[in-house]
Amino acid sequence: MSERWQLHQRASCARTAAFAVAAGIMLVPANVLPVLTTSISGHERTDTIFSATVGLCEDGLWALGAIVFIASLAIPFLKLLGLGWLLLAAKRGPGSHSPKLTRLYSALDIIGRWSMLDVFLAAFLTGVVQFGSLARVQPRAGIAAFAAAVVLTMLATRSFDPRILWKETAAEPALSV
Amino acid sequence: MNIPPAPKVSRARAFSLVWVVPVIALAVGGWMIFRELRQRGPEITIEFADGSGIEANKTILEHKGVAIGSVRSVKLMPDHLGVEVQLRLDRDAAGVATRDATFWVVRPEIGLSGVRGLDMLLTGARLAVRPGVEPPATRFKGLDRTPPPDNSTDGRAFVLEADQLGSLNPGAPVFFREFKVGSVETSWLADSATAVLIRIRVFAPYVNLVRTNSRFWNAGGVSLKLNLLGAQVKSTSLESLFAGGIAFATPDGKTLAPPAEEGARFKLNAEADKDWLKWRPSIPVQSEEASPKPETNSAIAEALKK
Repeated sequence: MSERWQLHQRASCARTAAFAVAAGIMLVPANVLPVLTTSISGHERTDTIFSATVGLCEDGLWALGAIVFIASLAIPFLKLLGLGWLLLAAKRGPGSHSPKLTRLYSALDIIGRWSMLDVFLAAFLTGVVQFGSLARVQPRAGIAAFAAAVVLTMLATRSFDPRILWKETAAEPALSV
Repeated sequence: MNIPPAPKVSRARAFSLVWVVPVIALAVGGWMIFRELRQRGPEITIEFADGSGIEANKTILEHKGVAIGSVRSVKLMPDHLGVEVQLRLDRDAAGVATRDATFWVVRPEIGLSGVRGLDMLLTGARLAVRPGVEPPATRFKGLDRTPPPDNSTDGRAFVLEADQLGSLNPGAPVFFREFKVGSVETSWLADSATAVLIRIRVFAPYVNLVRTNSRFWNAGGVSLKLNLLGAQVKSTSLESLFAGGIAFATPDGKTLAPPAEEGARFKLNAEADKDWLKWRPSIPVQSEEASPKPETNSAIAEALKK
C-alpha cells in the first residue's frame, strides 16, 4: 500500500467525518427552531419541521405529510447514519461487503439532494406569497440551519472516496482528488 | 535528462484544517438556539370563562397595538367551568405580567357609536393586557370583555347621579356647547339602589370647564314638543340620538367657581333649564385642534420658496 494512497484515504475519511459531524450539529437547530411563519388571513402560525409534518397529517394531507417527513426528517438522519456506517467500514478495512457498501454510498449520494426540497419550498413560498395582511410567509432561522445541514451532508458524501471500501490491486489507483 | 525531485508528502495536513467546519457549525448553531431562547419570556396562565375565538399558536397578546406574546395552548379547566390559556410572553414584555395586571379578550365590536377591531373579523379574537405595578405573577383571571378604562388615563373623571340610566352606554359622548369633550366610561347601581351612578371622563384639554357648580343633563335621545304653533324636534347629534349623551354647562359670573376635583359628584338632570344654555363662562382650554403650530407654517412657507 503506497503512502500517498494511505494519506488520501485518511484525508478523505477525516473530511467526511468532519462534514458529517458539522451536519449533525446543524441538524439540532434545524429541528428545534421554527422554519417558517405563515400568516393566512391573519391566522399566524410558526412551524418547526416536525410541527409542520404533524400539522399536514392533522389536516388530512397524509401524502404531503409523508413527503415532508421523508425528505426533511428521515433522509438527513438516515444519511448521517449511512455515512457513519461507511466510515466504520472504511476503518475496519475492505471486506466482503464492498459491493453492498458501494451501493449504499451511491444511494446516499442520490437521495441527499432531495432534502433541499424543503429549502426550495420555503424560498419559493417566501417569494410568491406576499400579500400583506391577507397571506404572508416568512422564513425563520431554522430553515437556514436546515439548508446548512443538507449542504454539509452533501459535502460529506462528496468527500468520501468509495474506493476506500475496496481491496487494493497491484496497480495503484489514480488519485484525481 | 532532468528528473524532478520526489514530491514531499506531509502527514500533518490531512487532519487539522477540515475540523474547523464542525467547530464553526457548533458556534453558529449554538448562537442560533441561544438567540431564539433569549427572545422567549416567561409562560403565564390565564383563566377565562369563555374561550371562543382563542386558538393555540394563533391568538396573540397585544399591548398598545404591538404583539407581545402568543397563546401556546387552550384547555378546559378541570372543573369544566372555564378555559385555561397558556401564553408565552416575549422577553422584552415580561414585565406586563404583574399580579394586578388585567387580561381580557378583545373581539370585534360593532356598535352605534362606531366599529372597533374590524381587523379581528379576519384574524379572530386577540388578548389584551393592562399591566400593573405589583410583583410578577404567572396565573391570572381574565375578563371576557374590555374593562372600563382605569383612572390613570388622561383627563379627569366625575361621577354623575341619575334617577334613570336612560340610554347611556359606555362610550357615549359628553358635550359642552354640543362639542364633544369627554365620554361615559361605566355605570353602576348605587349601593342603596336609589340611583344610578355614571362615571364620565372629560378629556385633558377641557377639564377646567367642569366647575364645582356645573350642571349636567341628559342630552340623549330626541325631545319632541308639540304645541299650538307647531312641533319642535331636538337632538344634540346623531350619535347621541342612538348612543345617548350627556351635556353640561358652567355658570358665568364675575368669579368662576373652582375647577371640580377628580371623582367629584354631580346630579344628572333629565333636561336642561333654559338659563343653563345661556351661560357663557370664559374658561381657557388647551385645544389640540387649534390653529397649526407656527413652526410648521414657516416650514411649509420655506419649502414653498425653494
